[in-house]
Amino acid sequence: MSGRLLAQTLRWQRVRLIAVVLAGIGWGLLIPVIYGAFSDVVRDLVDSGAFPAELMNFGSGSLFTLPGAITLGLQHPLAIAMIGIFAVGASATAVAGERASGTLEVLLARPISRLTLYASILAALLITVLVVLVAILGGMIGGAALQGITDEMDLGQIPLVVLNGFGLWAAFTTFGLAASVSFDRPGPAIGLSLAYLLANYFLEILGSLWTDAAWTQDYSLFHHFNPGSILTGDLQAGDLVIVLVAALVPIIYAIVIFPRRDLAAPA
Amino acid sequence: MPVDGVGATITPMEGTPSNAVISTRALTKHYGSVTALTDLTLDVTEGEIYGFLGPNGAGKSTMIRTLLGFLHATSGAASVLGMDVALDSVEIRRLTGYLPGGIALYDSLTGEQVLDYLVDLQGREPRRRAELCDRLELSGSVLRRRVRDYSRGMRQKIGVVQALQHDPELAILDEPTEGLDPLMQHAFYRILDDLRSEGRTVFFSSHVLSEVERLCDRVAIIRAGRLMAIHDVADLLARRRRRVMLRWRGTPDMSALPGLEDVQVDGNRVIGMLSGEVAGFVRAIASPSLEDLTIEPASLEEAFLEYYAPGAEEQQE
Repeated sequence: MSGRLLAQTLRWQRVRLIAVVLAGIGWGLLIPVIYGAFSDVVRDLVDSGAFPAELMNFGSGSLFTLPGAITLGLQHPLAIAMIGIFAVGASATAVAGERASGTLEVLLARPISRLTLYASILAALLITVLVVLVAILGGMIGGAALQGITDEMDLGQIPLVVLNGFGLWAAFTTFGLAASVSFDRPGPAIGLSLAYLLANYFLEILGSLWTDAAWTQDYSLFHHFNPGSILTGDLQAGDLVIVLVAALVPIIYAIVIFPRRDLAAPA
Repeated sequence: MPVDGVGATITPMEGTPSNAVISTRALTKHYGSVTALTDLTLDVTEGEIYGFLGPNGAGKSTMIRTLLGFLHATSGAASVLGMDVALDSVEIRRLTGYLPGGIALYDSLTGEQVLDYLVDLQGREPRRRAELCDRLELSGSVLRRRVRDYSRGMRQKIGVVQALQHDPELAILDEPTEGLDPLMQHAFYRILDDLRSEGRTVFFSSHVLSEVERLCDRVAIIRAGRLMAIHDVADLLARRRRRVMLRWRGTPDMSALPGLEDVQVDGNRVIGMLSGEVAGFVRAIASPSLEDLTIEPASLEEAFLEYYAPGAEEQQE
């Protein structure tokens, strides 16, 4: 890995990262407030029979408990978009973008192997994803503290939430980067990575809202990150293994493919 | 398949001169059904400026990219600075300076930041940067501007500096004067002259014949991926025919024009092509009735046009 390359890749992302981190903290702070304000209302609605309970779920989250609200906050499209900016957008364009613009050959004219380049970019992207995830979670804990409801969850489990969440988003990041090293233009890499993310998301949300299709959730990576369960002391080791394997497979693919690819002159 | 430092087989390089900096043997590259290079064999020796000539799409960039490990040869072998391009491309690039054709730079960085970034990644001191920037008129204020504000010529100058700032043992330059104004082209030629006098090796592709004539010790001519010829430029120029125009007082004496071919007589004017030594010809025509004499300098153009002409490949085969 090249420290200079890693640092420069982080530098390219810094403005975007600062903006997203601030947005993430804001979003995180809001979740316990929403939970505090609407939890009882939602519960009353369900108890009155006006709405079926499953329609009050979103993914694996709900507004019935604070851990459920945290899950909801992390699976909400806003949170997906914030982390996805780096896990999908930045990763899918990282190599293919440089390839299309012609700067990749300027970089690779240095004594840097393609594996070093790949490892450095991957490390930088994983750092950005982790920072955004921690910012959102930090905001949620801060919001809970402000509301005085931190006792509704086991704060000791937070590192496991971070680990499981990082595993999930690392899977999308490594997929995006694997797509990026496979194409000469960023368009197809972005398309493929976005489709992968949306397919996983669709399966999770579909299964959570429609009980007959609940089986689809098992095929979604999002279903294997349930902060609500972890915060109540119920981490499924299998979930961790699945997301880590999902993160590892694209890495192996990229390590095999990237050094063997012909890098012809950019069009 | 040999890859970027990942498991490869070394093909012995037979007949490589001991002072060869670049050697290829039957180097072939296919893209699917398209053949970009066919059986390319050449040697570039230490301290020479070697021109690699060919029309657009001839395979010049493919050859260069194969030497640097961007492309993997379909068959054949190549070595740079004594190292196998398939096995040691990282080490080769440590000792090499490369200017890609139509270089792309990071628009959001300043020229200085680009040079700092690239030399950091190179892992060598930018020993030549100050001198190169000075000769190419890249002042401090220019270097502090963002690349996005640069003209094409300025980008090319930065490209030249990034390729040579770390004082590489070998410079591989893909159409280096593209976008440079005539003044800067000459500054660049002088930089290459200095590199040659310091024993550095330069391999550059071009389709500008005048700069090849001006700079190169030897040239390889490539067309449709095939090597058409390798020539010593001085020999080639010595053997080329020169256009000669004479004007006589009275009727020209055609018996006193040794070595003149394709002669055309127009009144008291004679135009022809001279092959061979100029001095002997001038001595032979010296006469009080000779009013005017013009001998145009020998040019590579005619020689290269022979190779570029349609059907030239078949003739070579």
